[in-house]
This record gives sequence, structure tokens and C-alpha cells, in this order.
Amino acid sequence: MHARVLVVLAMRNLRRQLRRTLLTASAMIIGGGLLIFSLSFGDGSHEQWIDSGVRLGTGHVTVERPEFRLRRRIDDRLPAEVRRRVEEAFASPEIAPYVVATSSKLSINGLASSAAGARPAQIMAVDPVQESAFGMLDERVVEGRYLEPDDRLAAFVGAEMVESLELRLGSRLVVQAQDAEGEIAGQLLRVVGTFASGVPEVDRALMHIPLTTAGEWLGSQQDVTNVGVLLDGSAATARVADRLERVLADPVARGEARVMRWREADPALAAAVAIDDFGNYLVQGFLFTIIAFGIVNTVLMSVMHRHREFGVLQALGLTPGQTGTVVLIEGFTLTAVSGFLGVGLGLLCTWYFLGDGLDLTAMMENLDEMTFSGVAVDPVIVPLFTARRIVQVLVFILVVGAMASIYPALRASRIDVTEAMKFDR
Amino acid sequence: MSPITDTNNAAVRTAGIWKIFQQEAEEVRAVRDVSLTVDRGEFTALAGPSGSGKTTLLNLIGGLTRPTRGQVWVAGREVSEMSNRELAKLRLEQVGFVFQAYNLLPVLTALENAEFPMLLQGVDAAERRARVQELFARTGMEGLEDRRPGKLSGGQQQRVAVVRAVASKPALVLADEPTANLDSHSSEALLDVMAELNRDLGVTFVFATHDVRVMERSRRLVRMVDGKIDSDETRA
Repeated sequence: MHARVLVVLAMRNLRRQLRRTLLTASAMIIGGGLLIFSLSFGDGSHEQWIDSGVRLGTGHVTVERPEFRLRRRIDDRLPAEVRRRVEEAFASPEIAPYVVATSSKLSINGLASSAAGARPAQIMAVDPVQESAFGMLDERVVEGRYLEPDDRLAAFVGAEMVESLELRLGSRLVVQAQDAEGEIAGQLLRVVGTFASGVPEVDRALMHIPLTTAGEWLGSQQDVTNVGVLLDGSAATARVADRLERVLADPVARGEARVMRWREADPALAAAVAIDDFGNYLVQGFLFTIIAFGIVNTVLMSVMHRHREFGVLQALGLTPGQTGTVVLIEGFTLTAVSGFLGVGLGLLCTWYFLGDGLDLTAMMENLDEMTFSGVAVDPVIVPLFTARRIVQVLVFILVVGAMASIYPALRASRIDVTEAMKFDR
Repeated sequence: MSPITDTNNAAVRTAGIWKIFQQEAEEVRAVRDVSLTVDRGEFTALAGPSGSGKTTLLNLIGGLTRPTRGQVWVAGREVSEMSNRELAKLRLEQVGFVFQAYNLLPVLTALENAEFPMLLQGVDAAERRARVQELFARTGMEGLEDRRPGKLSGGQQQRVAVVRAVASKPALVLADEPTANLDSHSSEALLDVMAELNRDLGVTFVFATHDVRVMERSRRLVRMVDGKIDSDETRA
């Protein structure tokens, strides 16, 4: 019964100072809306960075030998048993719903040479069909075309490498690398296409060749160094990686394989996302600190104006704790209702951009491509909603509301009843 | 520490109570060594000039403040050592207050104000409504139940305050200058109401007052001067 009385008192008091309540609520609504809006765009742009990074790299989750990252040698091929288990796991009901594409690659360091000179090269042998679905280079063709299933001695080469080796479409180049027997082996290839990923270090060194060609050239048959998976969003990374770790528990324990999440495979990208998130949180923290002070001010002013009333309430039998609870309910309700409305407003505003995204091309007019940490930044940001993020925002708003109401509630609960009764508004 | 039970069946008893306030460097002795017993069903006025300690004594009896020394029993329970929570419970169950400034809650209607202590006590809705309706009928407040305090005259507000104080059936009602803000007609009407409630329902009233009308209507008049009881007369 008491609780209902306290709630009724709190609600009526909010209605009593309607203008003040609405002013504070509007600040909270705008704050909540901005929070959702900025977080949705932040998350959307981070997801784009991650998508770009993992498609240029080895996927959201990749399985490789523990030494592979440091050496990138043909000796670091995955055992056939590991590859079989991974492919079975990708097809399992626990992982399959999240899988967009998978790719098995043989990735090694080598040397590319032409009549004009020689350059270090990162040679990535791929299944052209798998890789078209997995990567993004087939969308970044400058000249010619991407690899096709029937290609044999074909190379799809980064634009800067093409330039430095003075190659053009149809030109021949020779690649050299250590083969499966530990000997240096060379292979003549023909340029079928060139690409510009927008990431200079990739365009300078990377080339794709057919996996069958590499198998014959290096004596590695169908062996690969990585099996990667592209997921329908980075949020599924942990779930998929955990599952793979369970499936590969024995090979991992024997040091034959390692499951890597994109954060481990691309720590620079992970750091960039974390730093950007931190900056956003800092700004949002400042914003909400200001809003919280507004709430403290509103609720506190209301407490000061009702000093006598709180005295009366206690004289009539309300305990100090219950008196404070009335104030706490007022502040919390004000914050919660306006916070929820703010989140709704934010979702509505963000919804508008869900289809075509927010195009910031005009801000990049002097740049052909913006890149960092091996990631090409898309100037069109598509916002991203996740239930987890919305719940986080709501919880954050409620915590701010509760915190902002604590001090006024304490003030109301600690009044001296006889002094309060003398208080003249 | 459990409260000591006073075997006397008094509504209120004080034994040698003092209330000393510290005002900057000065010690103000608002109540000095007051021993007073008010039996159930009394209609008692505490009279005296401003600063004589009437309101402070009322606050001590009502558990709104604690004595510096001495003991207070309300309905047989010693209140001096009670916690804030226990005092709140005591006020809720045993004491009704009527204040000079009415002190109705502006966000509640007349009916809700009158019901408020009973709501806190957990009295069921039908009984609350029945008690308030009966008291509203006795006090001439019928038809004004849904008005907020701002839409009531001073006399009407004070009658709602009296109904609020009485409806929860407390052991005593403490009224601090209840007629001070009312015109003579409203004052007389209010006193009639309180006298009737005292006579018919046996409600114990203790007033702090300057008002001669209240003093004349009281069956017992306790005069205070400088925080002490100066005289204590009971009329036939």
C-alpha cells in the first residue's frame, strides 16, 4: 500500500511542475536520441571498418598454425585433419546460420619479378569462386578481371606492384618461393587483372593466384595455410570462435592449429575501433554529465520548494526513507520515461538512414580513398542497431537517472521535521 | 532498547522534560522541566505568549522532536528513545496533527488528503471512504471531496485537516494554533466540529493557542510562561 502511495505522490508532483518537468524531460529526450544516433552510426562505421578489414584479411575468424603469422611459410600448412574438422564445423547448425562465406587460402611470402625488376610479394593462392564471395578485391578491379575457376597460370595483382614492375594486362611475371620440399621454385604467371584496394601496403605487395596453380608449383597439392570464415556481423565472432576452439581442442593442444578472432588477427584495427569507441564514450559521458546535472537541479529545486511538504509527510507518518523514496521515484521516472522517449526518437531518426546510409563523400573531396590500419573507409556510413546496444543505452540512462536523484532524495529524507514545518515558500 | 510501558492510561504523559536549543553561542531553553498528563478524551489548551514553549511542547509530545532530558509517553509508549522509524510509526498510528497553515498536500484532493494517514496505515478502501464520508458530513464538507486544497477556503482546508487528523483514530490530536489563520466565523465553526468530535467520538485534543475562543471552549487550560507550566486549570 505504501509503495502505491509513494508512486502516486511522485507522479502528481511531476505533473504539478509540468513546465519544469517537460523542460528537463526534453533535455533527456534529446540526449537519449543523440546517444542512440551517434552510437548507431559509430557502430555502423566500425562494422564497415571490420568488414573491410576481415575481407581484405583472413575473415572474422581464421584457423591457422600458431607460427603462421610470423613466418608465412609453406611449412605452416594446416594438417588435412584440422581442415576437415573446420569445414565440418562451418557446416554445423551452431555455426552455419552465421556464415556468409568461407575461404581456404595458401598464403606465403615470395618474390615477384619482371623485366623491370623484382619486388617482395605476398602470394595468396585462393579458390576463385570461394574468394569472390569472401573477399572484396573482385569488386576493386582496375583493369582486366578477377580470377576464374578455369584459370591456371593467372595472377590478379595489386595496382602499385603492377606499376613498379612495369606490368600491364597480359604481361608475364615470375614468382619465386620456397616449395614443399624446401627448395626455391619459380612459376611463370600472366597478369589477368589488377586491383586497387585503397590500402597502399596491400596494393604494393598482394597478388592472388589459383590454389591449383600453387599446389602444382609448390608441391603442396590442395593444402592451405588458413581457413577463414566471413560472418554476417562481427557480433557472432566470439560464438563461432569458441565453437571452433571446442572442435579443435586436440590440435590446438598439440600446437597444430590456432583459432584467431579478427581482433587478434588485426590488432591495429581492433585498437582503432577501441580508440574511436573511447572517444565517443567520452563525448557521450560529458553530454550525460551535463544532462545529469540538469536532472539533479530540477529534482533538487523541487525538493527545496517542497521542504514544508516533506515535513508534513513525515509528521503524518512517512519515514525519512519513504520521503526520500518519493523523490527518488520522481527523478527516476522523469529520467526513465524521457530516456525511453529519447531512445525512440534516436531510433526513428537513425531509421531514416538505414537504407542508403549517411553519405559523407563531400567531406572527402580531396581524397580518392581514405584508409587506416589496412582498412578502406567507406564514406557512406550505414547505421547499425543491435538489441544489446539499445539495452545498454537504456540501462545507462536509468543509472544516470537513479544517480542524479540520489542526492535530492537524501536531502528530502534528512530534513528536520520541525524546521521544515516552519519553512515558508 | 524497548520502550517502557506507562501503566497510566493517559493519552500523554511527560515527566520532567526539557528542550534546549543551541542558537549560535546561546542556549535557548524552550521547554523546562515540564511534567504533564493528559487523559484520554480531554479537550486541553496550552496557552501562553509567543516563545513560551507551547509549540515545542506539542512537537515533543507528537514525536516531531526529541527532548533534551526527561521522558514522554504517548498512549502508554515511551517515545524519547525511539528511532526515526519508530517515531514515524507512532505518529502514523497514535497522533493526528492539525497545523496553523493547514498543511494539506497540494497534489491530493480533499478526500485523498483526509484518507492519507489511513492509506499509510493500510486501511482498506471501503473503510477509508466510509470514515471520511462520515466525518465530511459532520464537518460540512460534503460535495467538496474532489477539490484540491487550492480550490478550498481556509476554513474548509482546516476542516479537511481536522478530518485527516481524526479519521485514522489516533490516541490524540495535536492542534497547533488551528484557528490562527481563520476568521471568527470559521474559527467558531471549526471549534464546534472539534468539540463535537471530542464529545461524540472521545477524541483527545491538545491545542497550542493564543485564541481566547479556543481557551474558553477547552475544559482544561494549561498556561505556559518561559518554557514552564505556570498554571493548570480544569473546568467543570
